[in-house]
Amino acid sequence: MSDIAPDEPPPFLRTWARVYTAVLLYLVVVIALLYAFTTVFNR
Amino acid sequence: MRTLDWIVLIASLVFVVAYGMYRGRNSDTTEKYLLAGKSMPWYAMALSIMATQASAITFISTTGQAYVDGMRFIQFYFGLPIAMVLISMTAVPIFHRAGVYTAYEYLEKRFDAKTRTLVSIVFLISRGLAVGVALYAPAIVLTVIFGWPDQWTTLIMGVMVLIYTVQGGIAAVTWTDFQQMLIMMVGLVVALFMAVWLLPADVSFLDAVSLAGAAGRLNAVVTTFDWNDRYNIWSGLLAGTFLYLAYFGTDQSQVQRFLTGKSIAQSRLSLLFNAVAKLPMQFVILFTGAMVFVFYTFTPPPVTFNAKERQEMQREGDFAAFSGQHSAAWEQRRQAARSYMANPTEEAATAFRDANNNLQATRRKTQSNDANYVFLTFVTQHLPAGFVGLVMAAIFAAAMSTISAEVNSLATVSVIDVYKRYVRRGADDKHYLRASQAFTAFWCGYAILTARYGAGLGSLIEAVNQLGSLFYSCMLGVFVLAFYFPRVTANGAFVGVLVGEAAIFATNWFTDVAYLWYNVIGGVVVIAVALIVSAFEKPKMLPAD
Repeated sequence: MSDIAPDEPPPFLRTWARVYTAVLLYLVVVIALLYAFTTVFNR
Repeated sequence: MRTLDWIVLIASLVFVVAYGMYRGRNSDTTEKYLLAGKSMPWYAMALSIMATQASAITFISTTGQAYVDGMRFIQFYFGLPIAMVLISMTAVPIFHRAGVYTAYEYLEKRFDAKTRTLVSIVFLISRGLAVGVALYAPAIVLTVIFGWPDQWTTLIMGVMVLIYTVQGGIAAVTWTDFQQMLIMMVGLVVALFMAVWLLPADVSFLDAVSLAGAAGRLNAVVTTFDWNDRYNIWSGLLAGTFLYLAYFGTDQSQVQRFLTGKSIAQSRLSLLFNAVAKLPMQFVILFTGAMVFVFYTFTPPPVTFNAKERQEMQREGDFAAFSGQHSAAWEQRRQAARSYMANPTEEAATAFRDANNNLQATRRKTQSNDANYVFLTFVTQHLPAGFVGLVMAAIFAAAMSTISAEVNSLATVSVIDVYKRYVRRGADDKHYLRASQAFTAFWCGYAILTARYGAGLGSLIEAVNQLGSLFYSCMLGVFVLAFYFPRVTANGAFVGVLVGEAAIFATNWFTDVAYLWYNVIGGVVVIAVALIVSAFEKPKMLPAD
């Protein structure tokens, strides 16, 4: 097996913890948008 | 299908197979064949992961589900970003550093050989059952729509997958997945665009959205909790997270994708891309189904979208009477839609809903579930030449990308966890490479032969997800034990999996609990039983990392 490179920082937001937080915030925003979409259009 | 459609379809299929063979030409060692020499960039893995999950069933059945039941199926994916974050934090670095070919190989390092073998067998059974359904699902729908014999459709798709997967291994699979995902995205956008474009000139996009909403087809978020309700925000967030943790973190067909990464960072990025892109993609698919519903509000739908059933009804005496009744109910709904567009009050919306319910009741009198045929009927009967071929190419691409990944992972587990572990230890690399190619060919043949047993499964997308839910939770449970419970013993994990699997089957047979919750129940039982059994044993000393 070839050697795996050591853990690298992400290409943006500097730390993985920040990237994970951003993804979870994104999920919250998407659910909020879908909820708004349902409330506005679904009767 | 017209000549131009055939040209588009055949050209795309030939290109995919040729491209796969070209990309897999250097797979001359076991590591290159099964892990692409750990050289994959994040974007190739990302689209491969997405393509593997997006099967033909996703296209065919999910759009039909939105047509019949609205967009609430999107909540099924709410747990996916959470699962991707958790897997990126834990499973990705652990598997990469362990230097394994399969997720189950890690279980022997952590527990023992019997736990690894048990979970490998659970995977081979569950994936082995699913691969036939993945091949059969598009075949049976194409049979009904075009009259193509399903044996030939499964054979053609299976052989095309066999050619590039056997020759090129995972490099061929990943790069063809990449191309196939691009074809799918184009097909998807074209289908949505055409569903809106083909509406009558006086029906605007906003009118269409408003009508879909008035009919309850834009119910993307349902906040009421019900154990027996498959799709609401709570089952999506909680049970969905468990399901996707199991699928992406323990199913070799997905784990193998991110094990091919150049680095831990590249593998993480591929998963996090999916965390971000999956929900918008599902939204587009479901929204397309909702727009097809509006399209058939102004264009008469067939009495049933299942052409075979329609032909049987036509042979029966009362078809003309039923057809007239159906036309009258549709016309009533169309007029109610027009009234709602002219004056969108609550009363008009209620009248439209009532007219829609009346039409559905009329359709239910003689038909079975025809949700799987809605989208392809729309595509084949209403899209212009060339576009039909493109959407069909996208459906074939979706089917082939899923089947190739499943076959590749089944072969990998067969070779690494069974053949190399028990049958032939210590052979040279060339031997295991040939064994990997032979097992890939075997699983392709198996998929083709078992494809025909997928009949009578109702909504195909649900059938596949239900099948997965019977097995995934126990696989997830044992990996959670491996990662987070250092005091759990090998015997504890082994007994936990057996009892967990029994609990899932008991839940399935004796209760009406929605299948998404199996993922929670099984996982909890595995962990609880393992902890109890381990409390009576001395823990195994873990090897230094």
